[in-house]
Amino acid sequence: MEITRKNFLIGIGGMGALSLALAACGGSPDTSSSGTGKVDGTGKTLTVLFSTKSQYPEEQKAWFAKTAEDFKTLTGATLQWETFASANDEMTRIQTSVVSGTGPDVYGLGTTFTPTAYSTGAFVKMGDAEWNKVGGKDKFVPATLGISGPDANNQIGIPFVSRPFVMAYNTEMLKAAGIDKPATTWDEFSDHAKKMTKPGQYGLAIAYKDNFDPWKFIWGMSIQGGNPIIDGKKVRIDDPTVLAAYDAYFGWLTKDKAVDPASVGWGNAQALAAFAAGKAGYFPMTSPLSIPTLDKSPMKGKYQYALLPMVPPGQTARPSGGVEAASILSGDNLVVADYSPNKDLAFAFIKMITDTAAQANYYKIFGEIPTNVEAAKSLKSDPLVAPALDAASKSVATPFSGAWGDVQLALTNIAVQTIPDLSAGSVSESALSGRIKTAQSTAQAALDRAK
Amino acid sequence: MTSEIAGNTLRDEATRPAGGPPAPQNKKRKGVTERDRPLWLLAPGGLLIAVIILIPLVLALYMSLIDLDQYTLRKWLTTPFIGVENFVEALTKTDLLRSIWISVSFAVVSTIVTVPLGVAAAVVTQNPYRGRAIVRAVFLIPYVLPSFVVATVWRTMLQPDGIVNSVLHNVGIDPGLWLNGPMSYWTLILVEIWAAWPFIYLLALAGLQSVDHEVHEAAAIDGALWWRKLREVIFPYLKGPVSLAFLLGTLNHINNFTLPFVLFGAPAPADVNVLPILVYVTSFQSFRFGLSAAMAVVSLILIAIPLFIYLRAVKLDVSDDGGKK
Amino acid sequence: MSTQTRTRSATRTPRKGRSAEVTRLMPTWLIAVLTTLLCVLVLVPVAYIFLASLNSDVGVARGEFWPSQFSLESYTKIWRSVGLGKGIINSLVVSGAVAVVSALIAIGTAYVLVRFSFPGRLTMLRGLLGLQSIPGTLMLLPVFVLFASIGAWVGITIIGTLWGLFIAYLTFALPFSTWVMVTYLRGLPRELEEAARIDGASNMGILFRIIVPLSWPGIVVSGIFAFLLGWNDVLFASIFTKPNTATAAIVLQVFSASQEGGAIPVYSQMMAAALVCAAPVVILYFIFQRYLVGGLTAGGVK
Repeated sequence: MEITRKNFLIGIGGMGALSLALAACGGSPDTSSSGTGKVDGTGKTLTVLFSTKSQYPEEQKAWFAKTAEDFKTLTGATLQWETFASANDEMTRIQTSVVSGTGPDVYGLGTTFTPTAYSTGAFVKMGDAEWNKVGGKDKFVPATLGISGPDANNQIGIPFVSRPFVMAYNTEMLKAAGIDKPATTWDEFSDHAKKMTKPGQYGLAIAYKDNFDPWKFIWGMSIQGGNPIIDGKKVRIDDPTVLAAYDAYFGWLTKDKAVDPASVGWGNAQALAAFAAGKAGYFPMTSPLSIPTLDKSPMKGKYQYALLPMVPPGQTARPSGGVEAASILSGDNLVVADYSPNKDLAFAFIKMITDTAAQANYYKIFGEIPTNVEAAKSLKSDPLVAPALDAASKSVATPFSGAWGDVQLALTNIAVQTIPDLSAGSVSESALSGRIKTAQSTAQAALDRAK
Repeated sequence: MTSEIAGNTLRDEATRPAGGPPAPQNKKRKGVTERDRPLWLLAPGGLLIAVIILIPLVLALYMSLIDLDQYTLRKWLTTPFIGVENFVEALTKTDLLRSIWISVSFAVVSTIVTVPLGVAAAVVTQNPYRGRAIVRAVFLIPYVLPSFVVATVWRTMLQPDGIVNSVLHNVGIDPGLWLNGPMSYWTLILVEIWAAWPFIYLLALAGLQSVDHEVHEAAAIDGALWWRKLREVIFPYLKGPVSLAFLLGTLNHINNFTLPFVLFGAPAPADVNVLPILVYVTSFQSFRFGLSAAMAVVSLILIAIPLFIYLRAVKLDVSDDGGKK
Repeated sequence: MSTQTRTRSATRTPRKGRSAEVTRLMPTWLIAVLTTLLCVLVLVPVAYIFLASLNSDVGVARGEFWPSQFSLESYTKIWRSVGLGKGIINSLVVSGAVAVVSALIAIGTAYVLVRFSFPGRLTMLRGLLGLQSIPGTLMLLPVFVLFASIGAWVGITIIGTLWGLFIAYLTFALPFSTWVMVTYLRGLPRELEEAARIDGASNMGILFRIIVPLSWPGIVVSGIFAFLLGWNDVLFASIFTKPNTATAAIVLQVFSASQEGGAIPVYSQMMAAALVCAAPVVILYFIFQRYLVGGLTAGGVK
């Protein structure tokens, strides 16, 4: 196993051969271009990587088949679907594809991963010509383009669906506690939570163990206090706004006692289950995707959605510089791989699935909120979806930096390492600030590397 | 040229300094084993291992020496060569050493517990009885269940409000958090043991099969007590397979990614931030591919060195003769 | 050491007749106690899986051990929602082929390593074990790059085919399979080989007419390990397969991982799917167990 110098040199020699092979495979000319109008893809195959919809496995299969059929009719090309299960799986796929220059032509990408994808430089930047091929920039809800690229001239992501975060509330529990409308500040939120807590029920359902939820809360409260966390070349995790956010977030359990102690082990799905069982008043950080689950539960007809509070903890009004952020800008973007020999086909495909009728249909099947202006407009009348549409328009994009992944990780890690304290019932100030300090330095190091 | 030469071979095998290279001066005396060696039989396996393991390993080593991250991923062939910088960073600025310690200690503890379990299981199913086939199949179940299923099941059971805690609560014990904090380390060991002991069992079973019937008879004639027979007659036969099982079990534990990943998620609680998780997070959440390759190489070296010292020490070549009587 | 070796060959005289009593290693009561303990250890979590698979998804999410309502619904649902059928077939094909081919290559390699001396032999023996220490996470990207490059070079698709997966698993299984065979062959008496050699048998003749028939238990064990390696792998299969070549483990993992996203996890279906995935292996074990258990002594002196 010992790696000798000789072996190593042989390896380097082999590398040259590999690079030739890679060049050969990456360099095949883009032959699908046919000027204007219809793209002819007869005999070609377009590969698309999408996330699996476990809630609707059969519906997704049917949608895949139907879309492939439509695409064949439209272009003559075969559409091959691939799926991934989690964000981590997808990052593995992107890494291997980018390094080897082979893989799917189109990726469906969670919005917060778009900066990372952008930083690889392996995806097609959308110029006017490209936007035209997908039907023009104007067909998309402007807010949804907020995380397509670092600025309007350097975009790679084409919005496909919008998934803004809102909170669900138990209408009966609010009423019983004498609360006439859902909280609009985080302090009010915590007051309501305390009022609704009594034996057998808790004010809040919080997923402290979730791998994504915690940073969304912290980022949201921070930006409302005027701290975008990444501020130019500086990371501001050690800012007082962040500490206040963690204090409030952990305080719901330790100080307010308004959260089920078991929730230190919960992911988002379990928090939803608790809310669905009628055991919690508020369930923040959810989306209209929870409608099918809730409608199948005893909660049917007894819940509503509302915007998450937008006034940072400890304040009665948003401070100057604070941003009216209802949610992170969330959803799925589509990106086209730079190595793809079928770019025009890819754009034709994207145009097809972002058209008004296709988006309305997609909403009907999966409950995903359209990014298409026309399709979104038609949903405004649905009271369950209206808050989400409102939240979508008040969504704020997380900073577009290649270092965002590390920031997110550092924020989540603070929550993960605090769970034993949470479970013990109190989070000491010194332990928390120690963790915040560590997070600040790792995130700052990542930002310093960002190009 | 027959029995004499064969005898030579045997003696040669037994008297050769253990672990050393084949003594060249013996070559001529080994007629049969030298003259007509079907070395081509090594080709298929050797070729596969060279192409699918060794070349990628060299590639991985190369990646550990370049500044590979999400910004340079696409142009990785022209990415600047930064020598040992990744290694320096891994050793000085990350949790690598702590993770190695967690991984190694967790792996060794797990193995130490699984060995007696596996051997006991092999011994108790040695003799046929009605229903033995079913018992043997039951013993195999943890091993055939995919790792992430095992992890998911245990994670569900060990939730703060899960079945384990509610049972313990009923008998008046409050075990606290299983999946976070200091206890998580022992949780990882517990689940790993549950999932891994059948591996030892299978190897021990194979070892038991190689005990000649005469040995049993001889022991029976001696009228040896069962535990003496077990210790003095049978266990020596198991020494080879079990030390192999010990070694491979430990390595498997160290490299197990799925179990801690599904049990605890990523980022993992500090107490179970094992090596594969650290490498994975560095790779796929921080996108420092070069750094993570360096971490993996460091751990590989740190594990390989004691491994090779051990392999030299265990007299690999004659370990089979140790227990034969 | 050498005296022991000689005694071994000296005491090897054919003896017939075996009785269960002679091979018993422990008093019956102790066997009963240990067997019960081990079975409980295994079966409690398995029972939980089994009961959960008969429960409803909501029931499992609520933390029930004993289902408030029994139903086989999960078992009928999974074939459509998980797409398990195709996955199991893919897994059986790949892992089965890996088991057979790796055992075949392993026994040849082990034969040479055990019975012949040549330079580098010890290094190879150590290497077989040393290779086990390479972490899979380190190899993932390089192996993918290698396959993609070879594919592009030769002009064939490797990534996404069962062939690619087969080659990868075969290689990863080989060191250990070979080692199992090495230990096994060492335990085999040489007398038969030597006798055959006097009769003029070739190396291959000895390998196939003497070694292989004597080695079934070892072959089966090494085959089982190779099979399970392919059956349980998630890391490599997750990027080396496409939906139509996905293995059972991948199908199941995709199914369970995507549960974390939105709705209440369908634990019940997942448990049912896990048990269905484990079933083929348990069945295979039943088929092959007579080889596993098969009397070595009976073969050795036939």
